[in-house]
Amino acid sequence: MLDQYLFYFRHDILANITVIVTLLPLILIMYRKAYVDPSFRLLLIFLILRFIIDLMMFHFATYRMNNLMLYNLSIIVRYALLSGMFYFKFESSTLQKLIIPVTVTFIIFTLWDVWNCNPAFNNFNEHRIVKYAVTVEALLMIFWTLTYFYELIRSLKIPSLFTFPFFWICSGLLVYYSGLSFVSPALHYAVRWESMFEIGFLDRILYIFDIVIMLLFSLGIWVFSARYYARH
Amino acid sequence: MQDIEQMKWALLIGTLAMLMMAFFVISFVLFYQKRRFAEEKKLSEIEKNHSRLLLDTALNSEETERRRIAQDLHDDIGTMLSLTKLSLNQLGKSIGENGEKDEQIMKKTQSLVEETILHVRRITRELVPTTLERFGLTEAIDEFIHKLEEGNNLTITFQPGSEELPRQGQKIELTIYRIMQELVNNAIKHANCTKIDISLEMNEEFIGLRVSDNGIGFDVEAVKEGHLAGLGLLGIESRLAIVNGTVQYSKTGNGGSTALTLVPVRSEAQDSKPEPLHPFRRERVNL
Repeated sequence: MLDQYLFYFRHDILANITVIVTLLPLILIMYRKAYVDPSFRLLLIFLILRFIIDLMMFHFATYRMNNLMLYNLSIIVRYALLSGMFYFKFESSTLQKLIIPVTVTFIIFTLWDVWNCNPAFNNFNEHRIVKYAVTVEALLMIFWTLTYFYELIRSLKIPSLFTFPFFWICSGLLVYYSGLSFVSPALHYAVRWESMFEIGFLDRILYIFDIVIMLLFSLGIWVFSARYYARH
Repeated sequence: MQDIEQMKWALLIGTLAMLMMAFFVISFVLFYQKRRFAEEKKLSEIEKNHSRLLLDTALNSEETERRRIAQDLHDDIGTMLSLTKLSLNQLGKSIGENGEKDEQIMKKTQSLVEETILHVRRITRELVPTTLERFGLTEAIDEFIHKLEEGNNLTITFQPGSEELPRQGQKIELTIYRIMQELVNNAIKHANCTKIDISLEMNEEFIGLRVSDNGIGFDVEAVKEGHLAGLGLLGIESRLAIVNGTVQYSKTGNGGSTALTLVPVRSEAQDSKPEPLHPFRRERVNL
């Protein structure tokens, strides 16, 4: 069993590093006690769930089983928790109020997309990645991030953004979702049990973005100071 | 097959474009925020200098007004009272020949006029500390505490420092003198003290004025939060702001309080020309 895992790990090192790299921000959140901030608490939940889902996907992939259902599930978890972080960071109550209904709408939309893309829902072997949900998720997250940046500049509360943890979290989100927004529609056609076409190096880029977002999250958590947070 | 290749390139170019946009946005936010903070700092400096200039003008006006009132009291009322005293002296001589009762009334009137003259002199001296202008801070404080001790059951000690205090600019000397007056008056009015210690210290950078009492002490923040009670302390801080000075309040071991005022020997306010008055009122940024 372990041999099979190791074999698969060596077979696709870049994809599997993305699973391991999740541990870095996860450990850092615990070490820096960043979970005292509600946004970082959501990030911690996201990282834990992501790590569990990734491990399950790794297990399925090792035994040559279709794991795309889990990927589709991770979209809902990812959006709900990552956009939820902005709920605690926005100062505008209008924006705060907007996040929850948008999240609910997005979850319904994603479920519809999953249903729509997988007519034979019970046949897990033929499951495919959603067609629109990831792009919509990327656009929404880019919107929240840019809106937060606008609010940050307008309020002039943070003297140095280099040492402001959530700035790096937002930078990670912006880079990740900017990269994802273009490639994600192609994944629906490319990533399936029997691929219609190979997108080649483009699916590697996604793994690189996964690593980049985790590194930027780690940077943000590293500059987090629980004492500074308590003072403010 | 060619279409798929073209699609791959299109996707790659699109992704790279989005990434470039993301990096541009991140860099823009970083640098724009930095620039706005620099601007904000500059504006707050201008505002600070502006308010310092206004405060300086207000205090100068107050001193000028004090001087004018003192001048009027000395030249007009003082002279009139002296003349009245002379007239009463002459009248006293002629009344003395006529009756004893009239003489008593005359002597009482003369003593009242003399007392009034003394009061006018005292008020004049208090309004404008001429000793300060002529002989400097040490002598002015010395004179002030001697006069206070005369009328009160209070012990006031003054230590002028080990070395002779060189003369400072008029503004610095007046600031320290007025602060000393305010602190001593506060101690007498509010601290229920029996002893006040005043000391002057000086090094290369600062002149330090320390006023301690053995009274009941006070909570600085509580006093400042009160409406009228904190005006004296605010006045001290306003005066100090003009000469870039600081004040620290602390409790002494015997239950009283100590105020340590530090004023730079060469303050920036003296050396640099203040910023001109701002022609516009800037919208305050909500923090």
